[in-house]
This record gives sequence, C-alpha cells and structure tokens, in this order.
Amino acid sequence: MLVGRDLTFTHPRAEEAAVREVSLSVAPGSLLAVVGPNGAGKTTLLRLLSGSLAPQEGEVLLDDRLLGDLGDRERARAVAVVPQSESSPFPVTVREMVGMGRYAHLGPWESVGTRDRDVVDEALERCAVAALAHRQVGELSGGERQRARIARALAQEAPVLLLDEPTAGLDLHYRMELFHLLQELRADGLALLAVTHDLNLAARFADRLLLLDGGRERAGGDPHDVLSREILEGVYEWPLRLVPHPGPGSDAGAPQTVPLRRDDA
Amino acid sequence: MSVQARTWRASGRVAVLALAVLIAGAVSLSLGASGLGPGDLWRAVTGAADPATETILLRLRLPRAVLAALVGGALGLSGCTFQALLRNPLAEPYVLGVSGGAAVGAVCVFVTGLAVALPWTLSLGAFLGAVGAMALVLAIARRASRGGMDTRVLILSGVIAGAFFNAIILLLLSLADLQSFRSAIFWMMGNLSGADWGSARLAVFLVPASVVVLSLARAFNVLSRGEEVAYYLGASVQRVKLTAYLAASLMVAASVAAVGVIGFVGLIVPHAVRLAWGNDHRLLLPASFLAGSAFLLLADTVARVVVAPAELPTGVVTAVAGVPFFVVLLMRGGRR
Repeated sequence: MLVGRDLTFTHPRAEEAAVREVSLSVAPGSLLAVVGPNGAGKTTLLRLLSGSLAPQEGEVLLDDRLLGDLGDRERARAVAVVPQSESSPFPVTVREMVGMGRYAHLGPWESVGTRDRDVVDEALERCAVAALAHRQVGELSGGERQRARIARALAQEAPVLLLDEPTAGLDLHYRMELFHLLQELRADGLALLAVTHDLNLAARFADRLLLLDGGRERAGGDPHDVLSREILEGVYEWPLRLVPHPGPGSDAGAPQTVPLRRDDA
Repeated sequence: MSVQARTWRASGRVAVLALAVLIAGAVSLSLGASGLGPGDLWRAVTGAADPATETILLRLRLPRAVLAALVGGALGLSGCTFQALLRNPLAEPYVLGVSGGAAVGAVCVFVTGLAVALPWTLSLGAFLGAVGAMALVLAIARRASRGGMDTRVLILSGVIAGAFFNAIILLLLSLADLQSFRSAIFWMMGNLSGADWGSARLAVFLVPASVVVLSLARAFNVLSRGEEVAYYLGASVQRVKLTAYLAASLMVAASVAAVGVIGFVGLIVPHAVRLAWGNDHRLLLPASFLAGSAFLLLADTVARVVVAPAELPTGVVTAVAGVPFFVVLLMRGGRR
C-alpha cells in the first residue's frame, strides 16, 4: 500500500506550489486514476510518490515505512514507474530493455539467473510483446513500445506500479488494450496509479478518481461522484455534458464526458 | 536464445578480442626498423636469441607494446564510459577537457626547459594538468547545477574549459623557442616512442579505474534510457555519474600523461563494437578495452614501420586508419 499524506511541493524558483496538501492511497488490487487539466500537478504528484522528488511538506509511506528511507534498489523493488516518455541515443532490443527491470535485483558482478530470465519471459508474455523480443525498441509502434515499457516495470516485481499518461499518443485500439492490461494487473493484486487525460476510460476502468486542479485535490472517490458537470466545467473551463455509457457490458452507465462546442452551451 | 547461450556468446566474443590483442602484440613485436622478424621473437621467447636481439625485443618493443595495449584499452574504455555518462554518441575521452589540461601541463614543462633538464617532469606535468582539469570541470559543473551533476552542464563546462586550455597552450607556444615549440607540437600529436618499463606504472591507475568502470556496466545500461528511468529502475544515478566521471577521467589523465593526445581511438572503437554487437555495456565495456588495445598496437606498429627508421606520430595513424574503417562500418548499416 502506497500512501501520500498532505503532500506539498514547490519547484525551485516557482512562485506557486505545483502540488498542495494532496493525500491519497493506492491499495493492492485497485486502480486509482489521477486526472486534471494540463499543469494541474499530476506528473509532480507522481514524482513525489515515486521518490524522485521529495515533498517539502507531508510524507510518502510504503507499507508504513517512509519512502525516502529506502535505498535506491530497495525502492525500485517496491515501486515501479512507467514515465511519460523516454529516449535513448543507443538502440536496444525489447528483451534487453525489459531485462533492465531486473537491475534492482542484481548486484554489479552478478550474472542473470534462471529466475531473472523467467520473470522477464513472463513480463514479455503478460504484455504481449514476447514475439517482439528481438526487435529494436525504436522500431516498434507507439502501442507496442508502451507495452514493452510496462513489461520492464513488471520485471521489477514491485507491488506498486505508477504510470504517467500511459495512453498518450495511442490510437483507440491500443488505448483499450492498455486499459485492459491494467485491469488484468489489478486483478493480479498490483496497486496501480495512472495519470491520464482520458476521462472516459478512467471512468470505466478505475476504481477511484483523483481530480487535481491547480495542485489541489478538487474531487476524489468513485467516478460517479467525481465526474459531474458542475465540477468538470469548473476545472476544465469548458461546457460539457455527461452521458451514461450505453453498454453493453459492465461499463453500462459509466459517466462519459462529452465536451460541447463553445457556442452550443 | 537462453541466458546461458547469451552469456557464452558474449564470453566468446571477449575471448576472440583477447586473442586479437595477443596477435596484434605478436605482430607489433615482430616488426620494426631493426629488421627482426617473427623467428627472432620466437628465439627470444625460448632464450635462444643473441643479447642485442633480446635487448631490442625486451627493452624496446615489449614495453612499447605493453604501453600501446594499456593506453589503447584505456582510451576505448573511457570513450565508451563518457558516451554512456553523457548519453551522447559523439563523446570521446577528450571531450571534457582532460587532454587540454594535460597539454597545458606538458607545454609548461617544454617551455620552461624542464623537459630537457628533467625528462620525467613531462609526464608528471601532463598528469597534474589533466587532474587539475578534471577537478576544475567537475567543480564548475557541480556549482552550476546546484549540487547535483547535470550532464548537459558537465559537457558545456568541459568544452568551455577545453577552449580555455587551448588558448593558454597557444599563448605559451607563441612565447616558446623553436625547439620547445616543435617538441610540444609533436607531443600533442601523441606518440609512444618514449616507452620504457617505467611507463607501465600507468597500470597503477588503469587497473583499479577499469575495474570500477566495469562494475558500472549494468548501471550504464539503465542510464542509457535516461536518468529518470534509471532512477526508477533502482540506479543511484548521481553516484554512478560521479564515479564514472572520476574513473574515466583518471584513465584518460594517466594515458595522456604517458603518450600525449592520441585521437580517434576513444571515439571509433566503442562505436565499432556498438555497430557489431549492440549496446549492452556488459559486453561493450570489456570489448571496447580489448578492441582499443588491439587497434592501438597495430596503429603504433604502422607508425614505427612505414617510414622507418623515422616514425610517424601514432595519433596521425589512428586517425588516418581509423576513420575509413569506421566509415565502412557505418555504411554497412551496423547491427540489424
């Protein structure tokens, strides 16, 4: 269980806090979606929860231990992160990249063992990239690359997984596929947090939403409570309507956000 | 392919390169101005050679071959390390100003006449200049990036410091007499003609620094995906960067102090290995060391032989031979 308490963070030389007194918890077997407009502090919040930024106020606890007290390798075995984007000047294969997930499990002179190989194989299978294992990462499509990066995070075997806009730039097919994958990982018992701009998929797949605005929590909890016309119009400063998902299936009734034309409001 | 098969393949490649170093070493010992051939080498090894032959082989060619192998390896390994540290394929051992600092130290020794009076002060001056440059660049970079070590700031500091050192060198040379001027220029082109068994003390710095760098192979792999990703994967990014900078700079400082500035080895060798075998640093680092050794052994042999009894500066040979070789590799498209 990953818990953030009253987190506040101001970037160096910034006047306003990027994140202000935000509290949240990510429980095993659940998916928390963090939503909000650009600049709302979503990525900063994720960095606070991953330990790459230290909060000026508040604390991040991992199973009742302060995240900041963990060593780098120990932390990486507990919290895996798929950041928004990455690039490399030196091409690697999918298998090599997913294998990097074992970094925190291996000493500098330790060679890769059978168990490491099995974990990597399983992660490749789980994210449906096993067939691409020998391809260069740079040659993959956006959706395949994203799945490979999630596979690398799974190879860390961390009980907590944080994802920053995992569906950015992906088409309908890959977006659906990705949220299905998150659903499966949740069923495996992982504690998941995803920062996303996709309100409609978040409403269908997430257990809880956290809506940030100007660094503060504007609303949090069940998607039906967070996604209201009044709240969203205020946060996004745009006219919109909410309609129930038409179904069929378990998503029927989930609140779907439909933005209006400016003049039709 | 299984993990075992992969490990065997990597070990096989390292073994092939180690063999290449031995062959290049044998070639280097067998060729030279005095006309001694492979047969003489064999007789010297078995103890059947005459004293003059033995002296040439064991006092002149062998220490020079050992020095070439050490320096070539250090340049290959440090070039690869700077590429990983700066995440920049254009990085090479001299990119952060260490060679410039060494050259300032060496030129000072030439200009003051110490090089003639006390020859051993030359490598000392170069080494002190190199270590001074390393400390200066690091201090600027740390100050400018507020405590951490931003590699973009580091590369800027290195380039700026290098430009400053160049200006100092030109200033000193403009005041120098013709003999010091010529000696200094020749030194800066890099050559191994001063090799004796004393130059092997280089290994005192190279061996520990190489071990330290090799221990970072896996960290370089994750670092290649970016510092943020490396952190999330469990790397202690700041510590890895600082360690890599210090170890690689020390290797470069020791090499430059011993033989001057030999270019292109540290840029071309790691790239040749990358193109052939990919970017896994667990193979790339040892392979860069060994390939650098073999390459400099051969280049130095060419430098000794082609215009015998005169010699070419080794740094000229590495550039002239290395660049076309690299272009061919690049055009073949590398690893698919």
